Amino acid sequence: MAPIASPFHSARWFAELVARASADQSAMERLGIAEIRLGLEIVDANGPPHMYGIVLDGYDIESLGEVMEKEFAPEVVVSGPADAWQEMISSIEANGSADAAHTLNSLTITGLPFSVRAGDAMGHDKFFRYMGTLQAIFDAAGTPATVSTGR
Amino acid sequence: MCLNDSDRQSKGYVMALGLDLDYLERSARGEFDLGWLRNGHSEWGVHAKPSKTGLTMRDIAIGSYGEVPDHAPRRTMAPRGSDVDPDVPDLGYTINDKAEVWSDNLLDLYEEAVSRQWSATRDIPWGDLPELDPDIEHAMCQLATVLSEVEMVAADFPAKWLWRINHDFVEAKMFLCTQVMDEARHTEVFRKRALANGGGLGRSSAVVERFLQLILDAESYDEGSALMHLLGEGIVLSLFRAGEFLSPSPVEKKIFRLCMQDEARHVAYGTMHLRYRLDRDPSIAEDFHAYLDKGEEIIAMIFATPEIVEPTAILAAGGVEQASELGTAAGEVMRHQIIGEYLKRCQHAGLDRRGRLHLPEVLIQGVPGAMPEAMA
Repeated sequence: MAPIASPFHSARWFAELVARASADQSAMERLGIAEIRLGLEIVDANGPPHMYGIVLDGYDIESLGEVMEKEFAPEVVVSGPADAWQEMISSIEANGSADAAHTLNSLTITGLPFSVRAGDAMGHDKFFRYMGTLQAIFDAAGTPATVSTGR
Repeated sequence: MCLNDSDRQSKGYVMALGLDLDYLERSARGEFDLGWLRNGHSEWGVHAKPSKTGLTMRDIAIGSYGEVPDHAPRRTMAPRGSDVDPDVPDLGYTINDKAEVWSDNLLDLYEEAVSRQWSATRDIPWGDLPELDPDIEHAMCQLATVLSEVEMVAADFPAKWLWRINHDFVEAKMFLCTQVMDEARHTEVFRKRALANGGGLGRSSAVVERFLQLILDAESYDEGSALMHLLGEGIVLSLFRAGEFLSPSPVEKKIFRLCMQDEARHVAYGTMHLRYRLDRDPSIAEDFHAYLDKGEEIIAMIFATPEIVEPTAILAAGGVEQASELGTAAGEVMRHQIIGEYLKRCQHAGLDRRGRLHLPEVLIQGVPGAMPEAMA
């Protein structure tokens, strides 16, 4: 499958990711409703971190592009070094979906290479409540036009 | 010919439920009562509007229908907001205060639960299970055995209390019904996993059963909900996360990911229910501390029961040989996660357990906020 044309990381890359994930509305409906403001923080080796905002509202997914954390007010943030993000995306593109070592849960469970932070326990737990949907969104990087239901 | 009461009794037509038998005859003659039509007090003209996911429980919580009384005025199954006969029987509900079961996220959690249902038969690619190293298969089956065992208590507990909860809090009952279904599916999926790949069921230990008994025998919904929704399911949520991470194949990964979502929903109810409860009556905080003082031993159980520790370590390490070293490291991650996340949920609920955990020091060392000096 053709990888997303825009460079990772960029607002256009996330917009295309969300467009791919949203393309199969019935698959998103099958995953179920979700309500979360998710910040994805990419920490470059040099320079300031970049945060991209994704909002799940019912069955809708919206990419807000690059955001300022304070204004975006994410309920939960997944943060990690750019090369780890790139490795995850490359794995998904190569395999069509995340392999065992590159699921969002696998990458965050020990706090390395990705960490999860939230203002409170409810925000933190939303990351687990919608894990299937969030994984399906990222897996869309490997499956244009349709998204795995994660089921 | 009309029958009088004496005739009816002599012919065996004794109606114990208070039916108006004369109405049978009147309606047969076309004489309708129409009291329900003419004398109703319902909100005529109410038009609940669907939101973008459909007509949700929040959409219909409008006008007087959305008003949930702090104390239920009667103990019946009459739908809240309906016109109720004055001589309805008392159905004996024992949970008649909203704060005993309510949470602010209840309506949304119910909708989420309904829309995120999945099938252990259809949605798991059972045909893709690979043949595993026998030790790994045994470890997976032992973990599946424990999970199949413990998950059902999270159906038994709400089922035990459902019929005692006043129907005015029907949204809480509906959410608990979704939990019963979720837990049935978890029991199903782990039983199926144990039987699907050659390993079969493992060992059920007495200590696990004693903890399940603690939840099932809770003397109040308060106590049981704190032990189960907040403490027990929080621990199982961490186990599911670990399971997804340690899964030997994509099949188990999918199982754990789907279960994780359900479990997190139950924990979200438990956390926000406790917060609602304590917001309205802070004086009962010590009662909840006492429940958790008693229940936190369940955390120690996770790390002191071979049937849980060892399969997890073997799955983490990829085999028995490496388990003592790599598995211990995985156990450390889980220990920090389980205790740290539990403390944060308690704090969010308004119950500060920092520094007063009833756990051996060896378990709480190094976990932020867990040691007694955290309160200093």
